[in-house]
Amino acid sequence: MTTIEKLNGIFRTVFDNDEINIQSEMTANDVDGWDSLSHVNLILAVEQGFGIRFNQKELLTFKNVGDLLRSIESKLG
Amino acid sequence: MTNERLIPAQNGQFNIGHICTRLQCDRGFAGKTAMHFLGAHGERTECTFGDLERESARFANVVRSLGFSAGDVLFIFLPKVSEVFPSFLGALKAQLITGTLFSNFGEEALLDRLGDAGAKGVLTRKSYLKKLLRIRERLPSLKFIILTDAAEHQAADILSLPALMQQASTEFETPLTPAEVPSVLHYTSGSTGKPKGALHRHRSVLLQNRTATEVLDLRPDDIFWCTADHGWVTGTSYGIIGPWSMGVTQVHFGGAYDAAKWFEILEQFGVTVWYTAPTALRMLMREDPATFARFNLGKLRHICSVGEPLNPEVISWGRKVLGKDIYDTWFQTETGAIMITNRPGLTIKPGSMGKPLSGIEAAIVSDDGKVLSDNEQGNLCLRPGWDSMFVSYFHHEDVYRQKFKHGWYMTGDTGYRDSEGYYWFMGRSDDVINTAGHLVSPFEVESALLEVEGIAESGVIGVPDELLWENVVAFVALRKGYEWNSGLELKLRLHISNRVSTTATPQEFRVLDNIPKNKSGKIMRRVLKARYLGKDAGDVSTLDI
Repeated sequence: MTTIEKLNGIFRTVFDNDEINIQSEMTANDVDGWDSLSHVNLILAVEQGFGIRFNQKELLTFKNVGDLLRSIESKLG
Repeated sequence: MTNERLIPAQNGQFNIGHICTRLQCDRGFAGKTAMHFLGAHGERTECTFGDLERESARFANVVRSLGFSAGDVLFIFLPKVSEVFPSFLGALKAQLITGTLFSNFGEEALLDRLGDAGAKGVLTRKSYLKKLLRIRERLPSLKFIILTDAAEHQAADILSLPALMQQASTEFETPLTPAEVPSVLHYTSGSTGKPKGALHRHRSVLLQNRTATEVLDLRPDDIFWCTADHGWVTGTSYGIIGPWSMGVTQVHFGGAYDAAKWFEILEQFGVTVWYTAPTALRMLMREDPATFARFNLGKLRHICSVGEPLNPEVISWGRKVLGKDIYDTWFQTETGAIMITNRPGLTIKPGSMGKPLSGIEAAIVSDDGKVLSDNEQGNLCLRPGWDSMFVSYFHHEDVYRQKFKHGWYMTGDTGYRDSEGYYWFMGRSDDVINTAGHLVSPFEVESALLEVEGIAESGVIGVPDELLWENVVAFVALRKGYEWNSGLELKLRLHISNRVSTTATPQEFRVLDNIPKNKSGKIMRRVLKARYLGKDAGDVSTLDI
C-alpha cells in the first residue's frame, strides 16, 4: 500500500465517507466535515497510523493534502 | 424606527416563505439582489428576490408532487450551500414543518432528531448519504432522501433535486397561512434525555422582522452578513427570515473560517451590518493586526454578536481594530428572536447582555417563583407570549410544560439585573455545555462514550475556555483489562465525532477509577467539575462512590 493510499484510508475513517479520494491540491473546503475540530482527529489519526509526530510549527505549514503527504513521506524517510 | 420597515403579515398572510419572496417582489424588489453567495472555492452566485421567489416556488411544487402535505416534516441536512435558501423557503411555502441540521451531525444525532420528529424527508448531499443509510431502517416515517448533487434519481426513494426541480413549475400559490401554523423546527440539547425539537410558528416572522430593524438596525439599502450556520436558530431567524422579510440584501459564505477571507468578504461586498459570534471574534483577535490593515471596511456600520457572552476584551478590540462597538445580543432556540440585547441608542456596558427588547418582560426569579431585586442572582425568566415564542417541544408536551413555572418561561440561564436595568449572564442552571455557541448535551456524549468497547462509565462536563467559552471534557472509567492509550483516545474521538458531532467531541479526556454518582445513580457532574477546576465540591453527602 502506498503512502497516499494509506492516507486516503485514514481520511475515509476520520470523515466517515468511503467516497473520499484525496488529491494533493485538496483542502478543507473540498471535504465535507473537515473543520477545525475534525482536523485534530485527522492529525491524531495520521500520527498513529504512520507512527510519526508533528510539531506545532509543522502543523501550521499544511495548506493542503499535498503538504501533509510530503511531510509524512519526509518523516518516513 | 418607522413602521415602513415592518411589512409582514399583510392580509392575514403570515407565511414566512411568501413574505421573504413573493411579498418582496410585490413591493418592487423582484430585480433586487437578495443574496450574494460565495462558495467555498470562491465561486460566486447572485440571486434576486425574483430568483428566490421562482426557485422556492419550484421547491414547494417538488415537495407537493412527492405527496408532502401541510404539517409533514422535512429536514435540511446540508452545509452552507446556495440550495439551502430556496429549499427552506419553499418548504415553508408548502406549510411543511421545516427543520435544519448541522452538517457535522453524526448518525446517532441524526437518528435522534429525524426519528423524534417523524421526518418524512431529508434534503442532503451524496457525501452524507452513508450516515443516513446506516439508520434508514430505524426511520419508518422517512419516505424520501433528496440529493442536491445527484444528476439522476438513485432509487425510488433517493431522488435527485436537480431532476425534480427541472420538472417543477416556477409558479406556486402559497396557501393563506394563519399566524399559528407551525413553521421552523430546531432541535436543542438538554442536560438529560434526548434533544428536543423547539417548534415555532409563522407568527415568529413579526418579531424576527422587528428585531432585524431595531437591534440589527437593518435598513433597506444595507448589505447584511450573518455568519451563522442555518443549523443554528440564528442562521434561520437572522440568516434567512429577518433580513429577507424586509427586502435586505444578504451575503452568505460557504467556506471555512479564514480571517483574511472574512475581511475580504466584508470589503468586497461592502457589508454594512455584520452579525457574528464571540468565538469568531476571539479568533480574529488572535490574528496579527497587519492581516486587517489592508482592508477598507469603511462601509461597515454596525456589528452584533450572539451565541455566548461577549467578553469586554472583545468589545475593546472591536473599538480599536474595527473602530466600531460590538453589540452583544441574547436569545435562545426556544425564543426564536432576540430578547435581551445591546442596541443602538443604549449605552453599552461591556460584558452585559443589555436590556430587554421593548414589549419583552424579563426578570430574575428565585427557584420558588419570587421575583428578585436588583443585583440578586437567580433564574433568568421571560413572561410568555412574545410572537416568536416556541409553541412546543415537538412530541414532548410534558417537557414543554416544565419550562413554564410561576407564570414565567425559565430560560435555564442564570444572571442578575443591575440597578440600571441591564442584565448580566452568570451561567446555566443545568449541565448543558455551551461550546462556541453550540449547546452540547453531556448526556448524549456520555451515552455515546459507553458504546465504545472498554468504557465502563463516563461523565462529561464543560470547563471555561478563553476561545470557545467552554470546552467539552470527558471523564471515563475503564473496564477491567483495558488500558488507556492514544489508540483508545482516537477511537473515542472518532466515535463521538461520527455518532454525535465534531462539536460534541471532547477536547480532553481524563481517566478515573470510578465516575462519582449519587445514591440513585445520577452522575455528579458538579463534583467532576469542581475536581477539574481544583475547587471545593461542596456537599458530597449523597455521593455513593
